[in-house]
Amino acid sequence: MGPYAPEPERTGRNREIRFAFAIVLMSVGLFHLPQNTQQRIALSVQATVLRPFIATQELFADARVRSSQIQVLLSDLDSLTAVTSTQSALIDENRTLRDLLGLVERVGPSYLSASVLRPRTAGSESMFIVDVGYDDGVRTGAPVVGPHGLLGQIRDVQPGIAVGIDWTHPDFRASAMLADGEAFGIVENVRGVFREQDQLMLNGTAYNEPVSEGMLVVTSGLGGVFPRGIPIGRIEGIAEEQGSWRKSYWLQPNVHPGSATHVLVAVINAPGDVADMWLDPLETGDEDVGRGSES
Amino acid sequence: MLFPLHFVLHIGFGLGRSAPDLLTIALLLVAREVGLRGASVAGLLFGVVEDSLTVLAFGANSVTMTVIGVLGAFTRDLFVGDSKLFMLSYFFAGKWMRDFLHWMIMGQELRQPFVDQVLAQGLLAALYAALVGMGLVILMDLVRGR
Repeated sequence: MGPYAPEPERTGRNREIRFAFAIVLMSVGLFHLPQNTQQRIALSVQATVLRPFIATQELFADARVRSSQIQVLLSDLDSLTAVTSTQSALIDENRTLRDLLGLVERVGPSYLSASVLRPRTAGSESMFIVDVGYDDGVRTGAPVVGPHGLLGQIRDVQPGIAVGIDWTHPDFRASAMLADGEAFGIVENVRGVFREQDQLMLNGTAYNEPVSEGMLVVTSGLGGVFPRGIPIGRIEGIAEEQGSWRKSYWLQPNVHPGSATHVLVAVINAPGDVADMWLDPLETGDEDVGRGSES
Repeated sequence: MLFPLHFVLHIGFGLGRSAPDLLTIALLLVAREVGLRGASVAGLLFGVVEDSLTVLAFGANSVTMTVIGVLGAFTRDLFVGDSKLFMLSYFFAGKWMRDFLHWMIMGQELRQPFVDQVLAQGLLAALYAALVGMGLVILMDLVRGR
């Protein structure tokens, strides 16, 4: 062997380091891929590797609902209404389902009822999974609503399952107006220091438009993303003023994403104006709407 | 074993943070066993799977887990042996570094305050992972008859 022959061990080690470096670069490349490609990869993994775990969560969610129904039946049989009255979570869920049933009757077959599942992993706080999908007529961009208004929007659709974002997502935007049609603007999410401080803001309204606290804000239907008339929230106060030409307002949201368990998802060819489908909570006398049952 | 168990606990049962980060523990264990190539590939795969549930910062977990896998494999050269104290520190440092890197990569608009997410929650999660990891190491030693 010559005096300058390479050391085989070191060469092998260098190859390993180069390989690991390439893998690190590959992972950085994933981070910078276009969003569409990232979504395609994510959907592929969800549909293959993670499918059994998502199905397990669906099973557990169903089991939880079934067990709660059995509890109600047993409680009725035993006449223990006092016990059920203390189970506020169950009462809230029942109220939500009853409200949804009422809404389903009004909207007809253009909206499908679905259960909301949360992945609960780091970075997925603003997304949810619903158990309806492409086969059911759900398409990308479909609005997701609760009994009291807009929760979010579907982002990706697969057979039997769809992934959506709620209004706490930084990309959430909705063209909106006051319920009386006097002022228009864009509703967007403003992130707080903590997630609990996320708020909705009605942005870009004209300075001189008369907007007072408590007025209902609904989707305007402009842009064709959301149908006209879905309640979003109520005016809570002025957020900011720019010169004497523009004002922004804080909104008290009608739907709190964290507590939404059952929703309706619009299917293809859903009507473009759904204003009559939501009853004004103040007119119906249910002043606690959007808070009592959702929170 | 740890890979499916992680997703059963986190997604299937919906336990969230109350379940330990078994994916990171698995990666740290793998990194000590299979070397640099295997650890980097395992880190990338684990990261991609976890990223598939992340709409907000896709890729952040991939980069983080790959780097953690590589660093874990390097510890084989730096620290010989697998004493209990070393393994406890290894799991603790690995998990905390994973949370710290993820916090750095995920973007300013998405992350929570450093003190809250990395120092408070991160250190608690690292301690939790270290204890669970140690339990697993002891269990593995018992099974192997050491």
